[in-house]
Amino acid sequence: MRRSHEPISWSLFGAGGMLLAFIGPGLIVSTLLLAWLVQDPQALYATLHSGLQHPLVRLATLAVIALPLYHTAHRLYHGLHDLHITGPTWLLGGVFYGGATALSALCAFWLFTL
Amino acid sequence: MRKPWQPQQPRNWWLRNPAYRRYMLREATALPLLLYTLLLLAGIVQFSRGEAAFATWLSWLQTPAGLLLQGIALAAALLHAVTWVALVPKILVIDSDRLRIDPRHVLRAHQLGALAGNLGLIVATLWLLWPTGGA
Amino acid sequence: MSDTIELAVTRYRPEQDTQPWEQRYTVPCSDDMSVLDALNYIKDALDPSLSHRWSCRMAICGSCGVMVNGEPKLSCKTFLRDYREAGVLEVRALDNLPVERDLVADISGVVEHIEAVKPWLIRHSEPPVDTAHSQTPAQMARYHAFSQCINCALCYAACPQFGRNPAFLGPAALTLAQRYNLDSRDEGSSERMPWLNAEEGVWSCTFVGYCSEVCPKDVDPASAINRGKVASDINYGVNLFRLLRGKGDA
Ligand code: SF4
Ligand code: FES
Repeated sequence: MRRSHEPISWSLFGAGGMLLAFIGPGLIVSTLLLAWLVQDPQALYATLHSGLQHPLVRLATLAVIALPLYHTAHRLYHGLHDLHITGPTWLLGGVFYGGATALSALCAFWLFTL
Repeated sequence: MRKPWQPQQPRNWWLRNPAYRRYMLREATALPLLLYTLLLLAGIVQFSRGEAAFATWLSWLQTPAGLLLQGIALAAALLHAVTWVALVPKILVIDSDRLRIDPRHVLRAHQLGALAGNLGLIVATLWLLWPTGGA
Repeated sequence: MSDTIELAVTRYRPEQDTQPWEQRYTVPCSDDMSVLDALNYIKDALDPSLSHRWSCRMAICGSCGVMVNGEPKLSCKTFLRDYREAGVLEVRALDNLPVERDLVADISGVVEHIEAVKPWLIRHSEPPVDTAHSQTPAQMARYHAFSQCINCALCYAACPQFGRNPAFLGPAALTLAQRYNLDSRDEGSSERMPWLNAEEGVWSCTFVGYCSEVCPKDVDPASAINRGKVASDINYGVNLFRLLRGKGDA
């Protein structure tokens, strides 16, 4: 029996799922509140900017983007299999997990070059 | 003579049973949640490009498309949170000779944690946006 | 007594038929009649050519599983009275398995999967014959529910991942692997982990969870498999650490 490498994607999926359960709905309500309540975008920008100076805040922000990316990529990848939509593993894996990795890397770049 | 009939799973197998439909709905929460995460990622890009670009992103949030996406994502996130937390005690079982935690307590802890996390985040945002607060 | 109910039975006779077809029977219906009683009535009084499996009539031998109105059920533990509203009972062989004849599904593939995970106590050394393996009630409780499986294969009929890929070891086999890995007397988990770690092991499961809903013995195979994922995850990490330190693959 060949060992599967699924533990890597499953761990990331699990971490993302836990994160989304703990803050997902709250996060979405928060951006909806932003849409309604923000009066002074400049002041908000300044507040967020000073907050993001701290490396831990940047790391946490990266987690809020990267882990849900892996979580959703994992579910959609398996969802295609469930729907009998097949293709070469390298291609589908590349699109979903590769895509999540590339976007996470870009996100890290944007955050840490602020 | 043996000539067994070999069944083939039909492509639409998941439509045939309510349990499968519930499963597919749970899995489908990933699609709006992915789109919403991309919206957040766009916010980070815009933020990195400066104040004006960030203000543009804030206006995107208020477009009908932006509101629709957030609305659907909110429903998906709620369904995800409820189904996810319910399954935790079946996966995370702490039961060894040294330490045993009642699965009901594992469930309670995650329910309370999810409530606290989500409500706490909303309260923090309100505080940040309040006229006398940060912004 | 005009209290009757209709059964729509999916038949398949390998000698004559190229594909399954439906035959309707009208059988008496009373509060104490099970679906198995109805099938036996058909065979005894209406149509001796019907084939179905059964033995114990009390939900313990695991041989009478069929699909009843699309749900995997033990026919001896399913009662006609619960289908009076529906009017008709559609009965067919268990889903996801080859159909040998009529309601007889071929479970030999499932049995092979079960055997593969070595579902017995593995010991490196046997204690002297006059002593026993002692086990506390708490240690027994750890695997007890998983040991209640009667190999009825209802969970295989419920599992779309097994339907998609019959190489998937499936709910009952992975549950039994977990049952022995969690047994304080067992020393064989290293022999079972390769089966869990494989794609066809726990990693084909997407936690649909229907297996646990249909299990007539409340075994909760979905939980067993997903706890197996945690075990396999840890095993993967430990193995990675070994490889990084230049040791061989375990
Ligand atoms: S786990 Fe339950 S449904 Fe599956 S074979 Fe065992 S008793 Fe039957
Ligand atoms: S006849 Fe034995 S389980 Fe139903």
